[in-house]
Amino acid sequence: MAHSLLLVDDEPRIRRVLRLALEDEGYEVAEAANGYDALAVLRREPPDVVLLDLMLPDRDGFTVCREIRRTSDVPVIMVTARADSHDVVAGLEAGADDYVTKPLVAKELSARIRALLRRVEPANSRQSELLEVGDLRIDVAGAEVTRDGTVLPLTRTEFKLLAELAGAEGKVLSREQLLSKVWGYGYFGDSRIVDVHIRRLRLKVERDPASPKHLVTARGLGYRLVS
Amino acid sequence: MRGRFSLRGRVMVAYGLLALGLSSVLALVTWKVVSDYLTEQRQSSAIVETSDNAAAFHYGVFGAPKPCNPAREGAECNSPTPRADVDVQALLNSLPSTDAASSMVYYSNRWYASTGRPSDLPPDLIATVLDGHTAHRSVTVGGQHVLAVGVPLRRPGEAFFEWHPLESLDNTLRTLKITLVVAAIVTALIGLAVGRLASTLALRPLAELTRVADAVARGQLDARLPAEKDRDLGGLARSFNQTAADLERRVAADARFAGDVSHELRTPLMTMLNSMQLIQNHRAELPAPVREPVELLGDDLDRFRRLVIDLLEISRDDGGDQGSREIVRIADLVRAAADATAGREVTTVAPEAEGLTLQADKRRLERVIANLVENAEDHAGGCKGVGVEAGGLGVIITVDDAGPGIAAEDRDRIFERFGRGETSGRGRGVGLGLAIVARHVQWHAGTIQVTDRPGGGARFVVELPAK
Repeated sequence: MAHSLLLVDDEPRIRRVLRLALEDEGYEVAEAANGYDALAVLRREPPDVVLLDLMLPDRDGFTVCREIRRTSDVPVIMVTARADSHDVVAGLEAGADDYVTKPLVAKELSARIRALLRRVEPANSRQSELLEVGDLRIDVAGAEVTRDGTVLPLTRTEFKLLAELAGAEGKVLSREQLLSKVWGYGYFGDSRIVDVHIRRLRLKVERDPASPKHLVTARGLGYRLVS
Repeated sequence: MRGRFSLRGRVMVAYGLLALGLSSVLALVTWKVVSDYLTEQRQSSAIVETSDNAAAFHYGVFGAPKPCNPAREGAECNSPTPRADVDVQALLNSLPSTDAASSMVYYSNRWYASTGRPSDLPPDLIATVLDGHTAHRSVTVGGQHVLAVGVPLRRPGEAFFEWHPLESLDNTLRTLKITLVVAAIVTALIGLAVGRLASTLALRPLAELTRVADAVARGQLDARLPAEKDRDLGGLARSFNQTAADLERRVAADARFAGDVSHELRTPLMTMLNSMQLIQNHRAELPAPVREPVELLGDDLDRFRRLVIDLLEISRDDGGDQGSREIVRIADLVRAAADATAGREVTTVAPEAEGLTLQADKRRLERVIANLVENAEDHAGGCKGVGVEAGGLGVIITVDDAGPGIAAEDRDRIFERFGRGETSGRGRGVGLGLAIVARHVQWHAGTIQVTDRPGGGARFVVELPAK
């Protein structure tokens, strides 16, 4: 079954060429020229992945991203002009799962999309599909985390990150390892993606996100999950 | 002079010389006045004493002076008659000797002396005194500095002499001399110190100017001099700040221009790249005559993409990108970047360099390694190895190639934008890659240089500070 994409960009030529190239890569592509249309399409026919340009005419991409996050855990890849700008961190804080920079090519984009859509695979087969870390119950097969019987509203990427850390059984995972396992990057993925996702995850799974008990930073090394 | 000494040195020396000159003049004047006064005092007291002794001698020889009326008894007055039973030598010995070392008298055409020898007296002094004038001379007798004083007696051709030791006067004058010389030297030293203080105070704004100008030269273009209230320095500070502001504006405008141009290029570039990818995906369906042109187009499009990305990278730096620093295991980073760029294993890590970490911007360092390896692969006969070892600033990374090497005169130029060796015969397209490398290395406070690789080819050596 072909995955569906929602392409949000105000530049018609970009939309046209990306649609052609992505369709050639085997995706079903819907288009939206602005944030308003994008949210409408999202409600009408939810896509598997949203590709969101941050420079939109009616409202900026960050607002659209937050709007999407209010109702959906669909993976969002934002398109930014520059990797170094504060836009990247702001976009990730707004709920984006990953980012790509212009000029982007459909083939690279396709690799990012596949990484986001990949299902969580348990770190080793002996492990049960149900992990318990402190008061958190992580159902790997059902992609659900519960605390005191309540389901925590994690996005798919946040869940994958938590599951990878849980699978490491308390060992430290470096940012490079997490980037590779969760986002499918090589060594040179942007470690800010990990940092921002950890921050977002703490807001959801920690009782006191300011002094995290589960998601612990190992300075200069990476992160680990402790019960 | 100007070349040998700093401005501060010159001000110091000027103050020191001025102080030395003034204190020397003062010391000389003091010396002159005080020594003259003391010498005069000593002389007059010696003359008074000698005159007293001469009077006493006279009394002893001639008895109490008779009233003398020159008009009537002038001859009697000038030539009194001596007492008959007088013993001149005994009389001389009985004179009170306060501080006179010796008394001598020339009487009745012969010398008498209590101590000392009349032959030690200077002949011209004897002549002057016998002529009827009181006189004195400073002479050295038996190694002793004395003042010889002569007083004529009543009868012409007879005189009384004494010498008075000048030892204590000499001691006093020597002490005075030492004191004055020491005072002059101390004053000169104080002058030097004041000069140093004054020049430091006066040069403080100049030192500040130097610091700020250095900062600007190092690329910190927003460095400014503090507003200066002083009238003499205010103008300098204002025009310096004006110049720095102009420079900053121009650099920012240049960066914006490059950034804007490449930004504008990105949309058409994206259309072209994706269209080309589509065409190449369906290469097999193309008619034979267009396959080669499409390939050519694809290659140049790729080069174009790299140039735009490089331009963006450069303008990003000029735009003052702060970057992000994180702790990086350098061996892992080099291995990942170099091997991926070369498409094979090219990295050798020395065992002691394996665990080395540094504070680095991963993205920038990746560009450094990738660009160097790419440069070796594309323009210099292939990468012959990448090395990581501990040493230098902390870690040394070498990238070897199999090219013709780089001529010594080109070794700086290749790191300039679009700079390429004139004589090394390197291929086209060096472009911005090495300029980006140099900037990123500098951003990490590291150094880069090119040397010859043992066995031919060039070796790029990057040193980065470890943490």
